[in-house]
Amino acid sequence: MRNWPDYVRAQLALPELTPERESRIVRELAAQLEDFYRDARDRGLDDEAADAFARAQIRDWAGLARSVRAADAAHTRPRLDRLTDTLVTHASSRTGVSLMFADLLTDLRFALRQLAKTPGFTLVAVLTLAFGIGATSAIFSVVNSVLLQPLPFPDAGALVRVHEMSPRFGRFSVAPANFFDWRAQNTVFSNIGMYSAASGTFDTGGGPERVTGGAVTWDVFSVLGVEPALGRTFRAEEDMPGNNGVIVLSHSAWQNRFGADPNVLGRTISVSGRPVEVIGIMPQGFYFPTRDAEFWQPIAIDPATATRGGHYVGVIARLKPGVTVGAAHTEMTAIAERLALEYPNNNRDESAEVVRLHDQIVGPIRPMLMTLFAAVFVVVLIACANVANLLLVRASVREKEVAIRAAMGAGRRRLVRQMLTESLVLACAGGALGVLLAHLAITPLQTLSAGSIPRAADITLDGRVVLFALALSLITGIVFGLAPSWQASRAGLGAVLKEGGRSSSTGGSRWIRNSLLVAEVALSIVLLVGAALLLRSFSRLTGVYPGFDADPVLTFAVSLPSATYPDEPDQQAFFNRLLTDLNAAPGVQAAGMVQTMPMRGGYVLSFEIEGRPIVDEGTDPSANHRVVSPGYFEALSIPLVRGRYIGHQDTAEAPMTAVVDQAFADRFFPNEDPIGRGIDIGNGTDGFYRIVGIVGNVHYAGLDANASPTMYVPFTQEVFSAMRVMVKTAGDPRAFANTARQIVRNIDPALPAYAIDPLADVVSESVGQQRFAMLLLGVFAGVALFLAAVGLYGVVSYTVSQRTQEIGLRMAIGAAPSAVMRMVVGGGMKLALIGVVVGIAAALGLANLVASLLFGVTPFDPASYVLTTLVLLAVAIVACVVPARRAMRVDPIIAMRQQ
Amino acid sequence: MLVLALLESRARHGYEIGKMIEARSGGRLTFALPTLYPMLLRLENRGLIKGRWVEKAGERARCFYRLTPDGRRALAAHRKTWQEYVRTINEILSPGDA
Repeated sequence: MRNWPDYVRAQLALPELTPERESRIVRELAAQLEDFYRDARDRGLDDEAADAFARAQIRDWAGLARSVRAADAAHTRPRLDRLTDTLVTHASSRTGVSLMFADLLTDLRFALRQLAKTPGFTLVAVLTLAFGIGATSAIFSVVNSVLLQPLPFPDAGALVRVHEMSPRFGRFSVAPANFFDWRAQNTVFSNIGMYSAASGTFDTGGGPERVTGGAVTWDVFSVLGVEPALGRTFRAEEDMPGNNGVIVLSHSAWQNRFGADPNVLGRTISVSGRPVEVIGIMPQGFYFPTRDAEFWQPIAIDPATATRGGHYVGVIARLKPGVTVGAAHTEMTAIAERLALEYPNNNRDESAEVVRLHDQIVGPIRPMLMTLFAAVFVVVLIACANVANLLLVRASVREKEVAIRAAMGAGRRRLVRQMLTESLVLACAGGALGVLLAHLAITPLQTLSAGSIPRAADITLDGRVVLFALALSLITGIVFGLAPSWQASRAGLGAVLKEGGRSSSTGGSRWIRNSLLVAEVALSIVLLVGAALLLRSFSRLTGVYPGFDADPVLTFAVSLPSATYPDEPDQQAFFNRLLTDLNAAPGVQAAGMVQTMPMRGGYVLSFEIEGRPIVDEGTDPSANHRVVSPGYFEALSIPLVRGRYIGHQDTAEAPMTAVVDQAFADRFFPNEDPIGRGIDIGNGTDGFYRIVGIVGNVHYAGLDANASPTMYVPFTQEVFSAMRVMVKTAGDPRAFANTARQIVRNIDPALPAYAIDPLADVVSESVGQQRFAMLLLGVFAGVALFLAAVGLYGVVSYTVSQRTQEIGLRMAIGAAPSAVMRMVVGGGMKLALIGVVVGIAAALGLANLVASLLFGVTPFDPASYVLTTLVLLAVAIVACVVPARRAMRVDPIIAMRQQ
Repeated sequence: MLVLALLESRARHGYEIGKMIEARSGGRLTFALPTLYPMLLRLENRGLIKGRWVEKAGERARCFYRLTPDGRRALAAHRKTWQEYVRTINEILSPGDA
C-alpha cells in the first residue's frame, strides 16, 4: 500500500495555511483515501485496482485546494512567512549544497519577523544606517566620478601634459618653438600636440554670440584618440597660417546651432567675421580642452617663425606603449635642459615636467575630497555604534528568549548567526535606503560643486557606487552585529532564567554599551571640531576685503575680432566709444576696463627700475601687470593713496605713465617715494613708464592669497583686443545686463557682450571649493551630533527603564525628584564628558589633516575646540534630561508593584 | 444539514459520513470527497462541529467529528425550517379539496 500522507502532500499545495493546519488536513485526507483503498481491497480488488480506485476519489487537486483554502481562511498565515517559505522550499528542493542557504532563509524569516515585531526600533536603526550609508555613498560617488573614473578618452591613462618648469615660477605654459623642438626630439610619445583655449563670435540666427573653443595642432585629435562622428579632422597642411580656414564643431554646437543638419559639412560659416569651412563634427560627449568647448580650429603656428619668448600654449601627449610617466619625464627634462643651453636668452634654467593628464586635472582637489571621505566615514562609524547600542539594549531585553532557545538545544554558533542575520537585514535595508538618499543627493552635489570641483558634471551614481554601498552595508552589518550577538549568546542560561523572567544587564554588556557611546561622542567631537575649523576659516576668508567693492559692479567681456578690428587705433576707437556710451547710460556711476578679471589668474611681468640696473637676468623683479582704462579704479572703488589715477590724458601719444599699488611701493621703494620714478615693464624695449600714483592693494590672485605688488598702465599705451568691462551701477548690477548688451550691439551689431556676471559672483565663485568643503563637513557634523544625541538618549532612557524599581524605592524612602534627576543626568553626562575628552584629544591629533584646507585659522584654534565642546555638552544635557524627567515621575507604588 | 444530522447521535469520521449519506439515500445521493471535506472544514470553522483525532485499539487514527452545542441548535433550526418547507410544499402539491 502506498504512503497516503506523502501522496496527499505531493498533490495538495496549501502554503497559505499554517503548518499545523496543513498537516492536519493532509493527515485527514490521507486517512479517508486509505479508507477508500481498504474498502476496495475488502471488495476483492487487487492492490493496483484498489489504489487506482482510491486515487480516483480526488481528481482535481487544484480545485480541492481552492475549496479548502476558501473554507479555511481563518487559518491563513502572514504573507511574509509564506514568501520566505517559498524561498526555503525552492532552495531545499535543490542540491544538498543549498541546505545552508535554506538555513539562512530560515534565519532570514525569523529575523524579519523579529524586526517587524518592534517597528520603532527597526525604523530608528534603518534610518540611522541609511543616513550613514547614504552620505558615504554620495561622497563616494563624487570620489569615484572625479578621482577614480578615467577621463573620457580611449586609453586615457597614457595621456600626459608636458609643462615647462622654471626655478622661479614653477610649472608654466609652453613656448611654441620649444614645443616644436620637443616634438622633433622626443622618443617617448606616440603623438604630441599643442593647444590653447580660443573663443570666437558665432552668429547662427540668434544674434552674435561669443563661443568657447580650442586652437589645436592638427594632430591633437590623434593624441586624444578620438575620431570625428562626421567628416574629418585637420590635415597637417591646414595647420599653417593662411591655410587654416577650417573648423571642427562639437556635437552640441552642431545640434544647437545648426539643427543637427548633416549638410553643414562643407558649408562656409563666419567665425569672428572670418569665413571658415566646417569639415567635421566630433562625437557626443567629447570635450577638450574645456568642457564648454564648441569648436576647434588649427592653431596654425609656423615652426619656422615660432617664438620662445611667449609662453601661452598647453602641450598634451600620448605615451608610447610601455613607456612610463617617469621615463617620459626623464627624457623631456633632458631635452629641455639641452634647449636651455642652446637658447640661453629665453630658456635659461628651464626644465620640463610630465604629468598624467588625470592627475593634472584632479590632483589639487584630491586632499579635500579625501578629507571629506574620511569625515563621512566617521559618520558611518557613529551610525554603527548607534545601531550596535540599540541592538545591545534589545539583546538584553531578549536575553530570556535567547536563553530558552539555547536551553532547547540551539548552539552558540547558531544563535550568533541568527543575531548576525538580523543585523545584516537591518544593514541591507539601511543600505538600500541609503543608496536612494545618495541618488537624491547627486543633483544638489553637482550644483554645489559646479565650478569648484573639476569634472563635477561627471558625478553619477553608477554600479561601482552601488557595489560600494552594498559592501559597506555588509561590513557595517557585521561590525555592529558582532558585539550584540556575542553578548547575547554568552548570557548564562541559569542566571537569566533564575531571575524570575526579568531581564538583566550584566556588567559586561553595560561596559560595551558605555564604550560605544563614548566612542560615538568622541567621533562626533572630531567631526564637529573639523566643521568648526572650516566654518571659522571660511568666515575669515569671506571676511577678507578683496581691495575693491564688488557689490555694485557688473562685469562683461568684449573681444574684438582681428578681421574687423585689425589695427590698434580701430580697437582704441571701439573701446573709447564703449566707455563713453556706458558712462552716459542712466544708473552708471563709473565704468572702466581691464585686460584680466580679478580672482581669475594672474598676469605677471618682470620689470626694471630706472637707475637700478639688473645685475643678473634671473633676479629681475616682477609684479602683477594690469592694463586699465580711465574709470577702472573708480568702478571698483579702489582708493587713491597718493598722486593720481590713470585718466583720459594718458593717451597713446602722451608720455608713458603707470600707477602702482601700496604693496608695490612698499616692496620696491621701501624708503623712497615711487612717484616720478620710471619702470621698464616687459623685455626692455618699450622704455620707462613714469609712476604717477599709488592706489590701494587688491587681492588679484584670490581671497586666500596675499595682495601682491601690482602695476597698472593705461590701455591706450598697451593695447589688448579683448577687455573685461567693469560697470559700477546705482542699483542691482544684474539689472544692467541687458543695457550693457544693447550698448555693445549699438556700436557693432556683430559683436556680443559675453560672460556677463555680477562681480560679487566672481568673488564668491573663487571660494566655491572652500564653501563646498565647509558645507559638506558641516552637514556631516550635524548628522554626527544628532546621532550621538540619539545614542545618548537611548542609553540613558534604557538605564532609566532598567532602574525604575530602584528609583521608585529611592523615592519611596524620601529621595527628592531633583536628586533622582541629578543621578540620571549625571550618569549620562559622565559618559558624554569622557567622550568629549577623548574626542578633543583625537581631534588635536588629527588636526593637521585639515590644515591644508584652512585659511587664517590654525588647526589648534582654541575657540573652535571650546565652541564644539559646549555645543556637544548642551545637546548631551538635553538628551539626558528628557529620560531623566520620566524617571522623576516614577510612581513609587507602581514601581514597587512591578516586583 | 445532512452532515449535522448524521453526527447527532454520535461522532463519526469523514469517510463514514460520506458512506452513510450514500447508504441512507440508497445510493441516490453521493458526496464526493472533494465536496465533502471542504464542507466539514467549513462547518468546523463556523463552530458547528468539532473534529478530534481518536485512536481506537487496533485501528488507525481518524478524525472524528461531533456536534457542538452550537451545531445542535443549528440542526434544530434547520430541521424546523426544512419541515415547514416540506409541509408547505406538500400542502400546495396535495390533490385534496381543490
